[in-house]
Amino acid sequence: MKAGPSQEEIRRHNLGTLLRHVHIGGSMSRAVLADRMGLNRSTILGLVSELTSAGLVREELPRDTGRAGRPSLVVRPESDQAYVLAFDVGVDRLTAARIGLGGVFLDRREARMRPDHREAGQVTEVLADFAHQMMDTTRQGTVCVGVAAAVRGMVRRPDGLVRAAPYIDWKDEEFGESLTRRLDLGLPVSVGNEASLGALAEHLRGAGTGCQDLVYLHGDIGIGGGVIAGGQLLGGDCGYGGEIGHMVVNPRAGRPCGCGGRGCLEAEAGERALLEAAQRDPSATGREAVRAVVEAADRGDISARAALHDVGDWLGIGVANLVNILNPRTVVFGGTLREVFLGSAAQIRSRVNSHALAASRENLRLRVGALGDNAVLIGAAELAFSTILAGPLEALARTST
Amino acid sequence: MTATPILRLRGIDKSFGPVQVLHDVSFDVHPGEVTALVGDNGAGKSTLVKCIGGIHPIDGGEYWFEDEEVQVHSPRDAAALGVEIVYQDLALCDNLDIVQNMFLGREKRRGLVLDDATMEEMAAKTLEGLSVRTVKSIRQQVSSLSGGQRQTVAIAKAVLWNSKVVILDEPTAALGVAQTAQVLELVRRLADNGLAVVLISHNMNDVFAVSDRIAALYLGRMAAQIRTSDVTHAQVVELITSGRSGDLGLATTNGATA
Repeated sequence: MKAGPSQEEIRRHNLGTLLRHVHIGGSMSRAVLADRMGLNRSTILGLVSELTSAGLVREELPRDTGRAGRPSLVVRPESDQAYVLAFDVGVDRLTAARIGLGGVFLDRREARMRPDHREAGQVTEVLADFAHQMMDTTRQGTVCVGVAAAVRGMVRRPDGLVRAAPYIDWKDEEFGESLTRRLDLGLPVSVGNEASLGALAEHLRGAGTGCQDLVYLHGDIGIGGGVIAGGQLLGGDCGYGGEIGHMVVNPRAGRPCGCGGRGCLEAEAGERALLEAAQRDPSATGREAVRAVVEAADRGDISARAALHDVGDWLGIGVANLVNILNPRTVVFGGTLREVFLGSAAQIRSRVNSHALAASRENLRLRVGALGDNAVLIGAAELAFSTILAGPLEALARTST
Repeated sequence: MTATPILRLRGIDKSFGPVQVLHDVSFDVHPGEVTALVGDNGAGKSTLVKCIGGIHPIDGGEYWFEDEEVQVHSPRDAAALGVEIVYQDLALCDNLDIVQNMFLGREKRRGLVLDDATMEEMAAKTLEGLSVRTVKSIRQQVSSLSGGQRQTVAIAKAVLWNSKVVILDEPTAALGVAQTAQVLELVRRLADNGLAVVLISHNMNDVFAVSDRIAALYLGRMAAQIRTSDVTHAQVVELITSGRSGDLGLATTNGATA
């Protein structure tokens, strides 16, 4: 049996925790860090100086103090020194970003994806190009500490095999492994489900900051879901958990779903359902088309309003189920569901208020995502940062060899 | 969330000559929450708000603020309590910049001259505190701003003075979808920062998207004040149009036959 953690393990844990505090919370003084971590000031001083010499944080005078007296130094993350690469494999677009410690966007690339260029090999090529373009512009001495990609599909844990991504026709794709090989950075590429990563992003930096129990609904071509329970992402046995889009709400008379089933939430309230109900041109799809329907409804277009009513109704039924099962504090609507929520909040809330149990919905907050279209990328970046936040010095040592 | 109301009105009556506009109105506003004030045209929403803001003196009833009964006879009295109202027309001056507008009539002085540096800093801090990132420069003229940005400036102006209650009269009425979203997010953030917010709106989606409580006025009476998590769209519409809905609302509706 193993005794308690060794000195070395404790130190590694503390370094990681401190780095996480400034990474998520931004610049803060050593006194605040000591308070939040429950450590004494001399320990904090030692940890900060270790991270400073590793080039991960810097101590400097705060920008504005507004108070009399000598301002105390704040510890801030070295966003220009240590960065990650984050990729988002969408249905009609590929996005890549270089994001510095502290969550700062340093560079961002985007390309439309043609339907005939969706094979994993082709996607890998485009992303690798983006990666090289973005890394070519970095200064000497900066270091990439992690890479992660988001896909709209089911991702097996822990190896990152993409089991199925129906909208881009991927099946059992070793995407992470092939991107790792193609990038050749000596870093494994982590892969995650887009809505799970969106949930992580809104939990850490967006509308769900400080909230330990939240459900994130991500509208794209389908509806993705991510659940944070007790501050942790709920993955289930193999990581496939949180497929809220395939919650069955109308199996008998429902619309057919891309998964082969019938009456899934995604089939009733997803992009296709909305656009069809609003009688839109079937060739127009994607974010812009959804936003156009919400705008038309706002201007008084009756078919657009009826479509939003309907979709809002189904979404409300879905959310009511989630509230009864998970009792979240916050439900966040992201991606295109952000606009859909604002255009049908009355229907959604009404359904929730009629079907969710009174005690469960008492403190429920329905919120729109605060990170906009970047939520998934930010979540991917957080996944990529997880290695260095677990053991900063070890992770650095590995990347520099 | 369930703290005691910061603003409490009891039995408010208000007439303009022979026309009674508000009748025995009670109204509670809680800190950290958005209270939506809804009602048909002519239900008395604007009059109620103007009574709260000290523009119209009330004929009868009690005005409680932070557990003390107060007398509000002028907008200055209301502002001194920490009550700010953002009217639909926003009352911004097009030919002045954002900072000048935010301090209009309440400029900071250093000796005989204006203290521009302090005003600029306070304005910037307020906008930052509201996570407003859409305006490029706070020295931009207001005439160059979009509708949503103007609304943002008007709201920031109301928040600047350590106000405790902010009342917004139809803030999204003239805005497109994207700008409405911006303003609603701002409204929500004000409440999440601990302010008591009153939102007057005709748009049920806006009401259900951001409010914690709904107060429905019907022909000058408060039909009901309910938590947003306890009602449906249909019930609120009924309260607005007939003053009652099932167990909710007025016992006998004014002017109705039943």
